[in-house]
Amino acid sequence: MQSRILFVDLSSGITRVEEDRALFSDLLGGTAVATELLARHGNAEIDPLSPLAPVIFAIGPFSALYPAATKTVALFRSPLTGELGESHAGGRFAAALRETGIDALVITGASDRPVFLHIDGQEAEICSAGTFWGQSAPATDRILREALEKKGRKLSAVRIGPAGERLSPMACATVDSSRHFGRLGLGAVMGSKKLKAIAVSGKGSVAITDPKAYGSVYQTLFDRVVRSDEMKKYHQLGTPANVLPLNAIRGLPTRNFTQGFFENASRISGEAFLEEVNVQHIACAHCPCGCIQVAELREKFAPAHYSTVRVSYDYEPIFAVGTQLSISTPQEILRLIAFIEKQGWDCMSMGNTLAWATEAFLSGAIGEVETEGLSLSFGDTRSYLEAMQRISSWKGEFFRDLEKGTAFCASKYGVKDFAMHYGGLEPAGYLTGENAVMTWIAGVRHSHLDDHGYSLDQKLLVKDSPLEEQVRMQVEEAQWRMVLNSLVICLFARGVYDAQIIADGLGALGLEWTQERLKKFGAETLKAKYRLKKSYGFDPKKITIPEKMFNVRTSTGFLDRERMSRRLDLFLEYAGIG
Amino acid sequence: MREKGLKVINRDRCIGCLSCMYACTRKLRGLGGTGKSAMRVRAYSGTEGAFSIRVCSRCTSPDCAAACPTGALTTAGGGGVRLDREKCISCGACVKACTIAALQWDEEEGVPIPCIFCGQCVQYCPNDVIAMVERADQEGGDGSAE
Repeated sequence: MQSRILFVDLSSGITRVEEDRALFSDLLGGTAVATELLARHGNAEIDPLSPLAPVIFAIGPFSALYPAATKTVALFRSPLTGELGESHAGGRFAAALRETGIDALVITGASDRPVFLHIDGQEAEICSAGTFWGQSAPATDRILREALEKKGRKLSAVRIGPAGERLSPMACATVDSSRHFGRLGLGAVMGSKKLKAIAVSGKGSVAITDPKAYGSVYQTLFDRVVRSDEMKKYHQLGTPANVLPLNAIRGLPTRNFTQGFFENASRISGEAFLEEVNVQHIACAHCPCGCIQVAELREKFAPAHYSTVRVSYDYEPIFAVGTQLSISTPQEILRLIAFIEKQGWDCMSMGNTLAWATEAFLSGAIGEVETEGLSLSFGDTRSYLEAMQRISSWKGEFFRDLEKGTAFCASKYGVKDFAMHYGGLEPAGYLTGENAVMTWIAGVRHSHLDDHGYSLDQKLLVKDSPLEEQVRMQVEEAQWRMVLNSLVICLFARGVYDAQIIADGLGALGLEWTQERLKKFGAETLKAKYRLKKSYGFDPKKITIPEKMFNVRTSTGFLDRERMSRRLDLFLEYAGIG
Repeated sequence: MREKGLKVINRDRCIGCLSCMYACTRKLRGLGGTGKSAMRVRAYSGTEGAFSIRVCSRCTSPDCAAACPTGALTTAGGGGVRLDREKCISCGACVKACTIAALQWDEEEGVPIPCIFCGQCVQYCPNDVIAMVERADQEGGDGSAE
């Protein structure tokens, strides 16, 4: 039974563990527990980058116990949007935390000097990060592993790069081998607390109430993850499997959402990456699927001399710095991703913002005065690398602004019509239609993973369904994902975790949850999340759809203003959050 | 017939999912997590995607047992070691003596975790990284172990 919450106050340096069994027995764990903890320990008066602002991390009852329950939930107030910030990451963080016996972390305060938090078994210590403040995200990982790794222990390191230290609101926190709390600016929040990293050394076991039932549920899930078709796509090409199918239905956003077709998609598809640059698949701890795609980027730096780095890639980075910037080779995309990894930006926000900057430059809305002579063109990798170099060295006002995101730049430079963001967050790589746009407006973290909007759009290409039915399915999925995100499983395994196996899996752990109770819990958690979002000033009706989206053909045709308004009304009505 | 032991046969195919370690803890002890695993996988620091997998060599003259000051750890029939928990004083000398770091330490109970060569870890490896094979003579292997 989970119960232990580690409180860390970086201002005073005091850490303490509290038990709260009721919290976990009522709310499972993960996103539901984190929502309650953020509501308890934060409030709307606190600026996202204030020392008072809390950061919550939570794992769930399935963490380290069932295959593919690999994610950790982070909640905070987003410096990018000003409202709820929520991001999930894989790697080894959840597994390591579970083995320390800590189920949630509440971090408040700010240090006056760079520090990192080291959770070693049952002990937590705030240590100096003075020697490696300023280091890149990958270098910080290497430093911490060498310093802290002990025989036989599982070490997980969550850290920020220089972008987080500069308080870029699109800074991410990187976990182990290229997994990320990517979206909504956790990196800046950590940076504002002078918290360079969180390192967790775990090695322990977890008592099981009913080992026989546990073994049986485990076996079913393991077989499904390894052998069933549900996860085959992720096991083979990984998320980049999406490139060609989306392109085929004209749903692959290209050159700042100008069209849904990228003429060179076949050159940067999952298949092309696999053939040309992939060297290995790796996995999050306790996931036999292993969807993480690792490529090798080999570059000549002098006659007869090469440097080689490993870079992980996924569908969203390929979209964000590939099709969005019209980059047509895996090597060039990897160069851009590698730069972004070192700085510790959210690749999706940075790619979208560079796409906005390019369209603004090409349309004449901004000029060489702003870019200080740098010419931005779609397809021009060298200019993008130069732009990011200037951003990271804070050269020039325009470049300093770019790492503040699309919304900030569009507002400051007066170019809003083609600024692709929803409430301040740049979108994921789907130009499939109205359901996808609905997810970005109404989804609790405005992520394409909040429900299956992009998938609903694709199903419409095969079989039409009434608008009411579409929205109802979307709401039910959004509610159900509250359950999955509280357990906390990887959403790529959503197909193998049905309600029955979840109830059985919880039962083996001594947690009595019927399918009905789970479904009700999902609906209630969605409402709780909306209450928290509203307290931060969020109103889905105030989110403006970028004007450009009404002039672009999606996979399912053009967006209609009235229909979108009707969808939102229905969404709020069905979810009971109007 | 020779005794079977564990062998790393495809180190380069490891994806680092740790399913083997979870299996050992779950199937032998009925517990979750990896804390009771008799073998280990870990990432080499600084080298993305390179994993070090260490399994018991089933030595016929084990260094770990030789290092035990109380006779708690003794050579088992067919090689490998057995633990007499009553005699163990939790000094950790055995783990230090295992140069390849295959002998694991139970941090919760303060005892080493001898491998019993049941092969459960092998059953859960998705990529055939480890296998149960007939044990080679300790004097000189074929060089394929990694």
